[in-house]
Amino acid sequence: MSTHAATISPGSTLASAMAPSSSLRAAANKALIIGLIGLAATGVGIAVSGKAAAFSYLTGLVFWIGIALGALFLVMIHHVFDAGWSTILRRQFENWLSCLPWLGLLFVPLLISAVVSPGTIWKWTDVGYDLAKVGGHGTVGQDVLWFKKSGLLNTTALFLATLVGFGGWSLLANRFRAHSFAQDVDGEISHTHASRFWTAVGLPFTALSMTLCVILWVKALDYHWYSTMYGVWFFAGAIRGALSLGMIITLWLWFRGDYKGILNNNHMHSHGMLMFAFTVFWAYITFSQYFLIYMANIPEETFWYSLREINSNGVFNNWGYVGLFLLFGHFAAPFLTLIHYPVKLSKVWMPRISVFIAFVFLIDIIYNVMPSLKNSNGDAYPFLSLNLLWIGTTVIGVGGVCVWAFLNSFSKTKLIPIRDPRIVESLTYHE
Amino acid sequence: MAAPLYGLMARFDTAPEIYHAAEKVRDAGFKNWDCITPFPVHGLDGAMGLRRSHVPKFSLIGGLTGFTTGMSMIFFTGAFDYKLIVGGKPYFSPLFAFPISYELTILFTAFATIAGMFILNLLPQHYHPVLKSKEIVRGLDDTFYVVIEARDPKFELARAKALLSAAGAKEISELEA
Repeated sequence: MSTHAATISPGSTLASAMAPSSSLRAAANKALIIGLIGLAATGVGIAVSGKAAAFSYLTGLVFWIGIALGALFLVMIHHVFDAGWSTILRRQFENWLSCLPWLGLLFVPLLISAVVSPGTIWKWTDVGYDLAKVGGHGTVGQDVLWFKKSGLLNTTALFLATLVGFGGWSLLANRFRAHSFAQDVDGEISHTHASRFWTAVGLPFTALSMTLCVILWVKALDYHWYSTMYGVWFFAGAIRGALSLGMIITLWLWFRGDYKGILNNNHMHSHGMLMFAFTVFWAYITFSQYFLIYMANIPEETFWYSLREINSNGVFNNWGYVGLFLLFGHFAAPFLTLIHYPVKLSKVWMPRISVFIAFVFLIDIIYNVMPSLKNSNGDAYPFLSLNLLWIGTTVIGVGGVCVWAFLNSFSKTKLIPIRDPRIVESLTYHE
Repeated sequence: MAAPLYGLMARFDTAPEIYHAAEKVRDAGFKNWDCITPFPVHGLDGAMGLRRSHVPKFSLIGGLTGFTTGMSMIFFTGAFDYKLIVGGKPYFSPLFAFPISYELTILFTAFATIAGMFILNLLPQHYHPVLKSKEIVRGLDDTFYVVIEARDPKFELARAKALLSAAGAKEISELEA
């Protein structure tokens, strides 16, 4: 049944492009050490800033979870469309997916906090939480807006959604990786068909579970709020993060020499077009969310944006500038640069734009998480604060673990899926 | 009296042949010439030395016009010509003017792109001198033609013919204008 699988003749340049795996393993270990130092620093943060550092940890973790889920989505989108050109790119996303179980493990401390110290992060994990601490009155249990949502917003649902989410995502990642790597060896077409089966199951599952998880983890930090755009907002950001990561890895491999003779201008162009398309998609979703809330003008919805612009005493806070930065940094700047054809082909500009988009995705997550940490007046703590340090240490810590997992997987697998039925189409890609 | 010369039409039988012939004509410095192929030949634009199209400039102008039109229309109707409070909102805000501006950006960009493509391709064009050739239908079926126009500043009949034969043309004919 391997008649459909393409083979690359031995002795071609591809075989010689494999890097010595010992140096990669050393780099992986270095990444792990940096990651552990970052996580330890965040641990110090918990001791210093307590609750605020826990929010910062959630921010940094959700950033990397978003990127990993974006990569999972892109692998599944590749399979569901039986795509051709992205075959070489898919392998690097498959390598990246090896971090998903570790991200699940890193989420465990947050779940433990919901039991050991309920109400620290998610107020509704403690029914007796005194809302006066965040500028409200009564307790969560007496709050009708919580009561009506209590079927979803409770500790059991939080645990279930998180466990089912990470379990399912890790299973999907494992299946896609196993089938793709096995195909390198035996060239069986059945691996492609199996991946397609897991995609058919995985796309609706991941769409639903990711929406549920991001609602519980991030949106429900302010459980009064309503927004039907939230799941798709996170999806848009996650895909942008993953595409940026893919571009960075692609160009890392290009400048390292691995991708010589593999990567051509058409790959760069199509990858850049996807980044551009999702820039517009993110803007469309984010604007729609803001616009619907602005037009409807209902207090249960508008407070979420008011909190991020103005304090209860009428003074503007610096979250307003963060919002404007998102408008220009997450939409206008990438839109106006990525729209140009030569920019999409530029191996100098694309990594810069990719790093910038990933950075602004982090700012977007910060904008969604951190203002929910309120003082006793119900105002957000300022954007510029010590919390940024703990967010930074978490991003380095969790990122280090992700890079370690990626490099470990990268050193053990082929650079491209050499016996994928679409690999020749990908190598000779022309629009 | 014979009609003036429009140009030379050279026949090639395969895609690789016309590809390499196009490279030679490009390197000879001709500007007013074209290839006629029955299907798109990948990379022929590069072999012909064609540069990126100017259509995006039309698109940009169309898009900016559309966006400005949308914003100014909402400003004119709501905040200037007939001030009216709707839904407790200000007379004018770029926020609620955005959907219409966005739609008009897309609409005007599409119009400008189509118009730009027509203008740059000199369309509609109901007559073209190559249509005088009886063989041109084969250029839509199984043969490839390179047409060099006589108005090209580098055009000299004998030298152009020599160039095309050297490039491997199977048959060279002169076209009347």
